[in-house]
Amino acid sequence: MEKKNIRNFCIIAHIDHGKSTLADRLMEKTGQVSKREMEDQLLDSMDIERERGITIKLTPVRMFYTAKDGQEYELNLIDTPGHVDFTYEVSRSLAACEGAILIVDASQGVEAQTLANVYLALENNLEILPVINKIDLPSARPDEVKAEIEEVIGLDASYAPLVSAKEGLGIEDVLEAVVKYFPAPEGNGEAPLRALIFDSYYDNYKGVILFVRIKEGAVKAGDRIKTFRSDKIYEVVETGVFSPNLLPKDRLTAGDVGYIAASIKSILDVAVGDTVTLADNPAPEPLAGYKKVQSVVFCGIYPLDGSRFNDLKEAILKLQLNDASLIFEPDNSVALGFGFRCGFLGLLHMEIIQERIEREFGLEIITTAPSVSYKVVKTDGETLFVDNPSHLPPQSEIEHMEEPIVKADIFSPPDYLGQIMDLCREKRGTFLQMTYLDKSRVRLEYDLPLNEIIFDFFDSIKSRTRGYASFDYELKGYEKSKLVKLDILLNGEACDALSMIVHEDSAYARGRTLCENLKDAIPRQLFEVPVQAAIGGKIIARETVKAVRKDVLAKCYGGDITRKKKLLEKQKEGKKRMRSIGSVEVPSEVFMQILKTNKD
Amino acid sequence: MAGIYVHIPFCKSKCRYCDFASFPDKLCFAESYMACVYREMAKRKEELKDYAFDTLYIGGGTPSVIDENYIAMLVAAAKKNFNLSADAEITIEMNPGTVSARKIEVYKKCGINRFSVGLQSAINEQLSDLGRIHTLNEFVTCAKLLKGENFSVDVMIGLKGQTAEDVEKTIEVAAAFGASHISMYALTPEDGTPIYTDYLNGELPDGDEVAGLYESGFKKLKELGFARYEVSNFCKKGKQSHHNLNYWRRGEYIGFGVSASSCINNVRFTNTFDLDEYFKCILSDNFAVIDSEEIDKEGQEEEYIMLALRTEEGIDLSDFKNKFGADFAEKYAAQIKRLENFLLLEDGRIKIKPESLFVQNGIIVEFLN
Repeated sequence: MEKKNIRNFCIIAHIDHGKSTLADRLMEKTGQVSKREMEDQLLDSMDIERERGITIKLTPVRMFYTAKDGQEYELNLIDTPGHVDFTYEVSRSLAACEGAILIVDASQGVEAQTLANVYLALENNLEILPVINKIDLPSARPDEVKAEIEEVIGLDASYAPLVSAKEGLGIEDVLEAVVKYFPAPEGNGEAPLRALIFDSYYDNYKGVILFVRIKEGAVKAGDRIKTFRSDKIYEVVETGVFSPNLLPKDRLTAGDVGYIAASIKSILDVAVGDTVTLADNPAPEPLAGYKKVQSVVFCGIYPLDGSRFNDLKEAILKLQLNDASLIFEPDNSVALGFGFRCGFLGLLHMEIIQERIEREFGLEIITTAPSVSYKVVKTDGETLFVDNPSHLPPQSEIEHMEEPIVKADIFSPPDYLGQIMDLCREKRGTFLQMTYLDKSRVRLEYDLPLNEIIFDFFDSIKSRTRGYASFDYELKGYEKSKLVKLDILLNGEACDALSMIVHEDSAYARGRTLCENLKDAIPRQLFEVPVQAAIGGKIIARETVKAVRKDVLAKCYGGDITRKKKLLEKQKEGKKRMRSIGSVEVPSEVFMQILKTNKD
Repeated sequence: MAGIYVHIPFCKSKCRYCDFASFPDKLCFAESYMACVYREMAKRKEELKDYAFDTLYIGGGTPSVIDENYIAMLVAAAKKNFNLSADAEITIEMNPGTVSARKIEVYKKCGINRFSVGLQSAINEQLSDLGRIHTLNEFVTCAKLLKGENFSVDVMIGLKGQTAEDVEKTIEVAAAFGASHISMYALTPEDGTPIYTDYLNGELPDGDEVAGLYESGFKKLKELGFARYEVSNFCKKGKQSHHNLNYWRRGEYIGFGVSASSCINNVRFTNTFDLDEYFKCILSDNFAVIDSEEIDKEGQEEEYIMLALRTEEGIDLSDFKNKFGADFAEKYAAQIKRLENFLLLEDGRIKIKPESLFVQNGIIVEFLN
């Protein structure tokens, strides 16, 4: 295929605007997959992706399309995640493309995530093609939405195809527009190889599969390759393209999107974002990488059964093979034993990793409350970042603390302004600006402390606006804040896994609620268990888990003996699922209680 | 020590909490059933010829609902087939609504020397809530007929609307009419019984309330001279149920009839719960066992601990050493240390402190492997 007939592009959209459905239609239309093979949302291959209706991993696919000009084109589509947490993955796929289809829902219009994605695409100098989707809905208002795109984003939407991915309407218009508006890749096929690694995963048979965009030069089986950040040299075993399954192809040249398999043993040997070149004829300079992944939310992950630490380690390592944004380091808690402190892109990312560990590896885990990374300036002038409350220096050594602040964008119908503003105020937000996009939509901008939004902000905003508002944020920086460490004591003993860093003003209320929730979550023991919240040794709230008073099988005669034994064995089994904190036995669910900010 | 248990699966009407094998509409099969029981006994004769039995317990159901002559024949059959000692404790369970002077006469004559009367409550409303067929008055009549006999009364706690005073009154009535033994046990709403819906609807007292009722009952019993020897069993001096003590000492026992359990030579086995199936098996000259499990050494030890800790006497350390070849206090030193607030070590015995017996599961579970 001649380079001028190649188009590399991705699809960006606010969540639920129909990204995966459009991708499916494009593949169907180009005959990439037959109707029979067509499972809904083909590119979302993980169970979790299908169940939650979200895309987590980016997935590339190659399609062939004969345009109205009579020429055949190779279209490389890279599907991208839509959720705010996965901006990082989006930016990776953007780096491999020349164009981006921007889907906007014909009834909902521009949403927070639409904007965030457009900015990302613009940063990467991509051509953006707006597509108005869901025009089959009775509530569709394509003209208004086009106007909104022009007004809010500043894109010319006059040529935007009107489609219904669900009904298969306008798909051809999209393909034609892709061919017409997106530039063909540039790059010298004769120059030394420079290929951008935009993703990778570990295959049990082939080793690490590198997803690459060849910017310059060419690569084929037998070539000796290396990356810029490592000295290791690998021999290429196979090159190929995505159809969407791996399809071997003799040679990848400048402009191609494809994969390289080179018997690479560990994904850690080749960093996503790095540049691949030939060992024997290296390029002098690497390609510009892209925004480095930044963990936003941290939590501890421990095996429920302490003896399975090594299994957990293996699981996390395997997940990291395909998810370079997951970072971790070994950690050790008095209450929970050995585990890992993990960093995530956001709360959804965290939930997904937890779920995948449990599902794909059959491991039961305990997770601690999510935390953000705080900046601590000590009295001796030293500055450190702390994301684990138990690593916070003593209060006396802290000069002051700073917390991460985000700039939040909220789009909503004006009817819910009051509720949103109340919520932002409760979450210590600072109002920045309010803009009326049209009479039915308002954009609100706020500065918000990150630790206030990692718990339930997203859910709260959805429920307070009946799902009409959308929300996105970006990290802004650190600001001084009055933060304290809230400790939880069970039967007088501090439980490190339940400690959290909170704002001084909400510490009392959080302590209260937490004690109340814990009181309900901790099963009654043989003795009374005081549950206390404390700041720096001072108790601020207390509840009591009363001692159990009846725990007996009333009758135990001849026929009851086996039954009683089974009952006790079951009770014993239940105990194995508990952790001992001092003399108190605590079920693993308790560690998630800390997430709840309200009593329920 | 070894015991014989015979299950009589008939009754006048099923109580709302009843989870036992008992068939109110099959009373007409009583004669055939008893014939099968005699036959089942004869079938075990050879196998158990070296056993010395010292208790016979006729339970149910309501054994007193069937013709008293069948009971007399049953006792005779037990004596004929097995070595039942001359002074054996022979108990029959009775429902106050099914007794008569003649029945008791026949029982006494055939050798029954202990009676277990299901009173459950002295409050008529509670009796009818439970689906009991008798009233307090009928109990009084029954107790009068048993005057001077060694008899036990069953008292239930955890009933709908039951107060501490109700429990105390029930115990007082039982004591006043001469009971030498009182079993006070908590109602267990089993899934599938009608009373389970009461439980689901929150109409029954919760665990804390039941514990309160137990404490009130316990105090009253003590006051009236009944000492506890097992978590649910209280008696006047020397009036323990030997048949039941045998269970808690992990003794051997053989059961006959529908649903009856046995433990012989460390094999636990249970008869079918189905009456027709029982008939079929016995009439075709087979046993009616549906479940059989050999208890290994570790299981025996766990059972021993679990059962002994139910009792006021607890674990006899020298007996434990004889049976299992290990020093209990040494082997379970860690558990004993952890549970030191709940255990008592005295006179070569280790037991759960009296005030903690009602929360024993959480304690016993620590001793399981």
